[in-house]
Amino acid sequence: MPPFSFKFLVSVFGEVLPYFPVTLLIIVTSTIFSTLLGVLIARGQLSQSSVWRTLSQGYVFVLRSTPPIVLLFLIFYGLPKLLLLTLNININDWQKSIFVVIALSLLFASNLAEVFKSAYLSVDGGQREAALMVGLSEWQAFYRVTLPQTIVVALPNFANTIAALIKDAALAYVIGLVDMMGAGDNLISRNFGHHSLETYLALAIIYWIIFVVVEQGTKYLEKRLGKSRAIASNPVEVTA
Amino acid sequence: MLKVKNFRKKYQQHEVLKGIDIEVDKGDVVALLGPSGSGKTTFLRGLAFLTPGDSGHIEFDDQKIDIQTATSEEIKQLRQKMGFVFQNFNLFANKTALENVEEGLVIGRHIPKAQAKQKAQEALKKVGLLDFQNQYPSQLSGGQAQRVGIARAAALNPEIILLDEPTSALDPELVADVLQVIKQLADEGKTMIVVTHEMAFARDVADKVIFMDKGLVVEQNKPIEFFDHPKSPRLKEFLSRISAATVAHNGFEYEKATIIGNKES
Repeated sequence: MPPFSFKFLVSVFGEVLPYFPVTLLIIVTSTIFSTLLGVLIARGQLSQSSVWRTLSQGYVFVLRSTPPIVLLFLIFYGLPKLLLLTLNININDWQKSIFVVIALSLLFASNLAEVFKSAYLSVDGGQREAALMVGLSEWQAFYRVTLPQTIVVALPNFANTIAALIKDAALAYVIGLVDMMGAGDNLISRNFGHHSLETYLALAIIYWIIFVVVEQGTKYLEKRLGKSRAIASNPVEVTA
Repeated sequence: MLKVKNFRKKYQQHEVLKGIDIEVDKGDVVALLGPSGSGKTTFLRGLAFLTPGDSGHIEFDDQKIDIQTATSEEIKQLRQKMGFVFQNFNLFANKTALENVEEGLVIGRHIPKAQAKQKAQEALKKVGLLDFQNQYPSQLSGGQAQRVGIARAAALNPEIILLDEPTSALDPELVADVLQVIKQLADEGKTMIVVTHEMAFARDVADKVIFMDKGLVVEQNKPIEFFDHPKSPRLKEFLSRISAATVAHNGFEYEKATIIGNKES
């Protein structure tokens, strides 16, 4: 095994960084879709109808107890078969990145649903009643009073969940997707397994930088949104 | 002005309200008293359809509502005539004191922004909190928050204000200011229903006192008669139980309030 080469380490950046857009695209689209789906599922969990509640709770349970890599393979091998059998749609020639986005979105929707649900429940329902009494509609009460507070409460946990998503997105290379991680893996293969350490160290450094950006962004948002509204702990509702 | 007939409410098997009949005339201040669990709060919240009753009729001026068949349009129309002051204030935590009052004026009543601001500031001035208009609820004391809550309800100039134990969640030394603000509203001729435990306040400010127990109206009368010559044994017992501790204590708090009030006027 050749000794650690600093020169090689630097060259790895040139090899993997061209694939950064692939990684970024997967992260961004998965974040968007998992957020949308997460909102829907959180809505379902808080629904009056027991059918929706059971369905969304079942979804959360199943997805939260599936390891990311297992789900990725299930989607990659299972979804084309399922769609071909049930709807006669052939998706075998779809790009691999689409399967990755589907897997990550499904997976993190369940985590985000929990984040959104608990944030929503932490906002005192009395404010909604107060809004109704001053003439706001249910929808106005939600988006003018409840939602802004829900977002502030959800933000730290949302950022944590997205951080986990970013890290799990690195698994995409197992189905053969060439993102940063995949490019690094190919590089190691081309070198017959040599310079693995330099390659992974370079990848780690790139992820550390991504996380500095994510963390600072979150802090900035928290500061902006939470400005002057340290939401007071809500007194317990007493009914006499 | 407001007539409620045979208002009933059940939680599962437990019958909380067993047919309440109440009449409120314009300008009346009605104090609703009773031990906890008697259904006072449930009744008040039912009037505003926050926890709707199961059956009964509500007549507000010329609007007649059958509780069982009430449509959301009817409820909206009824709520427009009502202001509600909550035990836990329920201020919008994401809005300043001023924005809390403006919200209903601008969004609920579609009053132009500039005019709404002026009205909101007037309302805050009345409760002595104009200097706090840019503070968020988390920066206000309980007493201040409740006064903003009252300003929020009163700014819309509703025909009746329902107050659900407005001082129960407050530290004792903050109660006086809030009662003073409510008294001021009463003096202006506002129609109000107040669920309260402040006996001295009920006696002094109310035009009519209603005593509820176990989901029924047990007795209603003018305050002097009500407190000095209670008729039903249940009310006698209730009054004797609270008189020793509460009246003495609250009487003191309330006297303090009138002194502050006099200084201001």
